[in-house]
Amino acid sequence: MLVGIQLDNRQSQGTAPIDVADEMSLCLQEVALQRCQASFARLFNYFAPRVRSYALKQMGNEAVAMELVQETLTNVWQKAHLFDAEKGSPSTWIFTIARNIRFDMLRKQQNRKEDICADDLWPVLCEQTAAPGELGLDQQVTLDQVGQLFEALPDKQRQVIEAIYVQGKSQQEVAESLGIPLGTVKSRTRLALQRLKEMLSEDD
Amino acid sequence: MINLHPTDEQLLQFAQGLASPGLSLIIAAHMDMCGKCAARVAQFEGRLAEQALSHPQAAEPELQKMLDSIMALPAQTGVKPDCATFLELDGRKFALPRSLQRYAGKISGWSHMVGKLWQARVDLGIEGRADFIYMEKGGSVPEHTHKGNELTLVLDGEFSDGLNHYDTGDFIRCDGQHTHMPHTEADEGCLVFSLLDQPLHFTSGLARLLNPFSHLFFK
Repeated sequence: MLVGIQLDNRQSQGTAPIDVADEMSLCLQEVALQRCQASFARLFNYFAPRVRSYALKQMGNEAVAMELVQETLTNVWQKAHLFDAEKGSPSTWIFTIARNIRFDMLRKQQNRKEDICADDLWPVLCEQTAAPGELGLDQQVTLDQVGQLFEALPDKQRQVIEAIYVQGKSQQEVAESLGIPLGTVKSRTRLALQRLKEMLSEDD
Repeated sequence: MINLHPTDEQLLQFAQGLASPGLSLIIAAHMDMCGKCAARVAQFEGRLAEQALSHPQAAEPELQKMLDSIMALPAQTGVKPDCATFLELDGRKFALPRSLQRYAGKISGWSHMVGKLWQARVDLGIEGRADFIYMEKGGSVPEHTHKGNELTLVLDGEFSDGLNHYDTGDFIRCDGQHTHMPHTEADEGCLVFSLLDQPLHFTSGLARLLNPFSHLFFK
């Protein structure tokens, strides 16, 4: 009987990580969109002790490890809008942030001029201007063609695309300047790029 | 077409953040050009994250204070690229992979060397040296071998070295076992990014006279 119970527990543990990933994704979204403190507290309570354990193994010093935890989780709080669920799980995203910060901290410790920094190597915390691989526009069509296709976009989508791809604003900045939620900016961008892609393949 | 890639071991070290800074940079630049290696690294990152972060850990009381201080901070935008996208030589412009763009503005100028070669050193603050090297059509580097390791990433164009033919995006590793003479016959020449941890050792003819001075040329 006891054995049966243990087996049950194991099974539910087996499916747990998927649920956790979904839950943490939602929390990140809530932090990005609403600065939701309850969601961040859940992220923090789940990840901070785990990042601390990673940091202790890597840095071997409690104070330095805590610094790494603090900087990692601060980035999660401040830049949650950079998380993209299509690219990977929340845990992978947070691991890569911690790895990047560790890299920069070690470079600093070695008194190196910070010539090579983590942002060059892994653009985890960089704003996406033109999403790589999404559309190789400049290689496939001329500027004139793009201009024509661009004019054909619905006004609201064109406004967002122009701000991001022509003026080089981040999605966050566009949301602020237009006074619309970040999620709306993201969905308009996605729809517009989808639309452009369709129009381009019709052209071929 | 890209035929030469970093080894799985190098990609794993890169994903862990344990590869040397120079090696990391040239791998990152290769990944900008090679979707296959980028996907492989993403796969490694997923596995590493699972290993590092999937085990529950006891909550530390000290963390509670940290939580409050973090939430007092405002949101922030991410890092934005603000760099020269092109490398210029003799009126020609070369597009660079994302990882190397910041360094286009940091070269200490092009120097014209023997054999239709141009070299621009980049100070990365690492052991050894890093250069952009451009070979004009018909240009060549005298035959040499290596005391240490030489990593080369083909950024634009193609070249051969008597052992192989290399195309844009190829990631080439050479050490003391390789003796080669890079040259290009491509009309547009060839631009590479090269990392060297020890001076080259020239192996043939008059070029051997260069050896006592090779640190001036290549290190």
